[in-house]
Amino acid sequence: MRRGQRFDPTAADRPVLVFDGVFKAYRPDCPVLRGFSLTIQRGEFMFVTGPSGAGKSTLLRLLYAAEQVDAGRILFLGREVGRLTQDSVPFLRRNIGIVFQDFKLIENFTVLENVGLPLQVLGLPERVVNLRVGEVLERVGLGGRGHERASVLSGGEKQRVAIARAIVSEPALLLADEPTGNLDPQLAVDILGLFEDIHATGVTVMFATHDRSLLDIRPRRVVVLDEGRAFDVPQGLEGAALGAA
Amino acid sequence: MNAFDRAFRAMRSDLEVHLLSIFSVGVAFVCLVTAMLVVVNVQHVQDRWQHIGKLSVYLNANTAPERINDLDTALRATPGVSGVRYVPSEEARRELMSDHGDDTLAALPEQAFPASLEVDTQEALTFEAREQMAKQLQILPGVESVETYANWSAKLATVFSGGVTAAAVLTLIVLGAVVSVVSSTIRMALQKRHVEVEVLKLVGATDSYVRGPFIVEGAAQGALGAVVALSLVGALYSFVRGTFEAHLTALLGVNISFLPWTLSAGLLLGGAALGAGAAYLSLRRLLVV
Ligand SMILES: Nc1ncnc2c1ncn2[C@@H]1O[C@H](COP(=O)(O)OP(=O)(O)OP(=O)(O)O)[C@@H](O)[C@H]1O
Ligand SMILES: [Mg+2]
Repeated sequence: MRRGQRFDPTAADRPVLVFDGVFKAYRPDCPVLRGFSLTIQRGEFMFVTGPSGAGKSTLLRLLYAAEQVDAGRILFLGREVGRLTQDSVPFLRRNIGIVFQDFKLIENFTVLENVGLPLQVLGLPERVVNLRVGEVLERVGLGGRGHERASVLSGGEKQRVAIARAIVSEPALLLADEPTGNLDPQLAVDILGLFEDIHATGVTVMFATHDRSLLDIRPRRVVVLDEGRAFDVPQGLEGAALGAA
Repeated sequence: MNAFDRAFRAMRSDLEVHLLSIFSVGVAFVCLVTAMLVVVNVQHVQDRWQHIGKLSVYLNANTAPERINDLDTALRATPGVSGVRYVPSEEARRELMSDHGDDTLAALPEQAFPASLEVDTQEALTFEAREQMAKQLQILPGVESVETYANWSAKLATVFSGGVTAAAVLTLIVLGAVVSVVSSTIRMALQKRHVEVEVLKLVGATDSYVRGPFIVEGAAQGALGAVVALSLVGALYSFVRGTFEAHLTALLGVNISFLPWTLSAGLLLGGAALGAGAAYLSLRRLLVV
């Protein structure tokens, strides 16, 4: 029940996420996003795709306030991300789970400690943290591996640990930035399956990838980022007339 | 895990760097502790000499015994004088020899050790009053010279203020040294733990949560550095004291002592505060996401 409520209790009926005419440029002559608009409903699973350099990572970074929009608004659970004070950014991030291509595990921590981090940050007692981490590790198929060091795990296992860490605090939104980029194709499909399982429990998932083969596995909503704008393909790329994109 | 647990864990996993840092901070503190030790003991000596209230009235070699008796009586009757003792030449010689046991001294003629009247004055007697008394004694027949030990006090005062100045300068140097050692250690730690810092921020840790252990580490380095310095100087002090105590006491007239515990505790706390401050400043400069 904590999902989202911590951030804004009145957000239940609103879209989880709204991008409204977002502009973003790192250099004035080279804008990345040019009036990007998109609405994501609670419980959706959507891919974000586009060529390298199209701005997929930028889009996600804006969302968790690692970057600021130049113009436009991003509403997360009804709150405008760009207007958050520096002090409230951590509270935004506690409602978003993020998975990266390079896992971002702390190598000299155990699996248990890595996954428990978001709960430690909340100041939960050790006993509760361990219990919760144990459950989540079961869900990602790493039950009983909690006491191994992160550094000894395989790539696929590391990514499972990272996913466990992203969902351990039951965030409203799960972001993934090329989570399969470092994994071989079969492993990539397994990891996508894990995201689908998590989605099935009611979590909203935004999955950025340029791996076409993943997009075609099941018809899903795909947003193609091109020239700084969103091209929405509700039922996946397969069979959709995409024209120039 | 609170900030202390996390700091402890980080220090254990990066022990060498932390020990090196503690040692460097300690070396800086050694100079300061030594200077403070000198100041503290000089102050003891100075206090003692200021209250000793002694005058030595040296007599001409051929002063008649009756004259000496008269002087003795007159001195005893003088207000502010609490005692007079006549020290003839042979005794002066014997006293000095028993203190030093030196053959060159023994070879000196008896005239080299003038007879004197050692005058003890009351403690309440002011420095000016003693000087005044010395002036009056000076002109009496049979008196060669009067030693008020004012020179000694003046010299000690110079040593003391020199020591205080040195300690103040050393404090500034230690300040700079500790800040730079702790800052560079924190910079290294941040580099080494950049993934940890990044992940903490991504999972919603507040700035103070991220900073906590680094500040504890800085404080620990400062405090432990002070402890290292106090132990090193303390060990050296007990060695010196054990070996030369009798000589030092004879020379200075007071027992030498180590820093009072309040000052030691102050150094420790100061080290901790300085380390924490240095860590905080470098974090403000380096920790941005
Ligand atoms: N911090 C930055 N400073 C300057 N330019 C940046 C920065 N981050 C990204 N860019 C530029 O913005 C553009 C979009 O980058 P972004 O990382 O969002 O692309 P992407 O779609 O995630 O690409 P990829 O598929 O390769 O990961 C690129 O041209 C990139 O060079
Ligand atoms: Mg990217």
